[in-house]
Amino acid sequence: MKILMRPIEIIAWFTSEGVPRPLKFRISSNGSTSVVKVDKIIFKTEEKIAGNKMLVFRCQSLIEGRLRDFELKYECATCRWFLYKM
Amino acid sequence: MNEQLIFHLDVNSAYLSWEAAYRLQHGSKIDLREIPSAVGGDPASRHGIILAKSTPAKKFNIKTGETLFSARQKCPNLVIVPPNYQLYMKCSNALLDVLKEYSPKIQRFSVDECFMDMTHTAKLWGDPLRLAYQIKERIKKELGFTVSIGISTCKLLAKMASDLKKPDGVTTLFHEEIAEKMWPLPVENLFMVGPATKKKLSSYGIHTIGQLAQANPDFLAKRLKSHGILIWNYANGRENSPVRSTAIAIKGIGNSTTTPFDVDNWREVKMVLLSLVETIGSRLRQGGWAAGLVAVSFKTSTFESFSHQGKLSTPADCTNEIYQKACELLSECWYGQPLRHLGVRVGELCTNDFIQLSLLNWDREKLSRLDKTVDALRTKYGSKVIVRSSFLHSGIKPLTGGIIEDYPLMSSIL
Repeated sequence: MKILMRPIEIIAWFTSEGVPRPLKFRISSNGSTSVVKVDKIIFKTEEKIAGNKMLVFRCQSLIEGRLRDFELKYECATCRWFLYKM
Repeated sequence: MNEQLIFHLDVNSAYLSWEAAYRLQHGSKIDLREIPSAVGGDPASRHGIILAKSTPAKKFNIKTGETLFSARQKCPNLVIVPPNYQLYMKCSNALLDVLKEYSPKIQRFSVDECFMDMTHTAKLWGDPLRLAYQIKERIKKELGFTVSIGISTCKLLAKMASDLKKPDGVTTLFHEEIAEKMWPLPVENLFMVGPATKKKLSSYGIHTIGQLAQANPDFLAKRLKSHGILIWNYANGRENSPVRSTAIAIKGIGNSTTTPFDVDNWREVKMVLLSLVETIGSRLRQGGWAAGLVAVSFKTSTFESFSHQGKLSTPADCTNEIYQKACELLSECWYGQPLRHLGVRVGELCTNDFIQLSLLNWDREKLSRLDKTVDALRTKYGSKVIVRSSFLHSGIKPLTGGIIEDYPLMSSIL
């Protein structure tokens, strides 16, 4: 997988314990935007590099007929989501 | 064992490592620590000095404190990143949070250095050397940066020990190891020996820590007074201050600034003084202090320094009063030479809940209410929300001094 770290627009739902789960996100590339629905979350880890808490979600989705793995990152302090690797 | 066991942690090239880790977390393909890079300067004005450098940058002989200009001449490909003090506070706090899991007594010595009191923890954590390696690896894995750890029975030796293996190392420096590990080092490596002391010691033929340790204490006391005895004790590993988790009470507050251009007229000098006093005033009131003593200091463009101080008739926490006093003090000792550096300091602090009203202090109550209102506005909306009108279109910042709130700078008191 390649590191991209692109900011994305996303819809996520939060459990009553405060754990976010990504549902679908929208990313724009070369002028066109595409919507990707997150089919499965494989695992979630937390990292605190440089004291900056980020949640990392390894996900899997059917994109254009192919099953692809990717990683989303949620930066807790700024409430921003990124497409980290694809 | 009645002896203490102290760990000293030092983050390697802190500003640079933290910036490097942050960038990697955000998807950067380059690790700043592996290329010639440095933290420094103000990207807008392209002035500035090097605050931290990477190991590859050291090979180009780049020194901390030199100007970006001369650094770029030594290494044209040098990657320079601006400082980010909010990030550094976050990293420092994250480090402290991890360390607090191992000992309740932690002293944050500076933003990137901590002392941990590990006395009697052998039963909890086992062999201290193994624990130190564990902590070091955990910080590397969890937080993404490396530290050097020094282990000893007192803070001074622990701090000297952490310097011995950089980066990413653990070193012990117990009393029996001093002669082997510390005495061969040059005397300026000893904590509290700076360039001035080193020069004096060199003239007495003392070049290594070992020579200092074996020098005659009476001779040192005569030449260097109490400082001489202090460093002689340090060279022999004698130091026993406890690991302090609460700060020492402050004795004074000061701010100073180096101006980007020479200041040589009263109008501009007064503005710089006012901007310094604005910061000092808010710090005073925030701490609940009032000051009885005001001091101004300045450095001319030819690097001569002067300072002058005077008492206030009654202790004050009011920006205007301190400003008037500062101007008065400066007018008594400045003859109009171009200045590059100005500083204001207040001392003789006392609490400000009881302030004497004096017949000579005009409208003190009104000014005090004004100060409080301005403080509240700035806390809520940021310091730029309200400024003195004399700063409009002046090119001088309305508030000078300090880095960000509560930024822990290194102290000379262990």
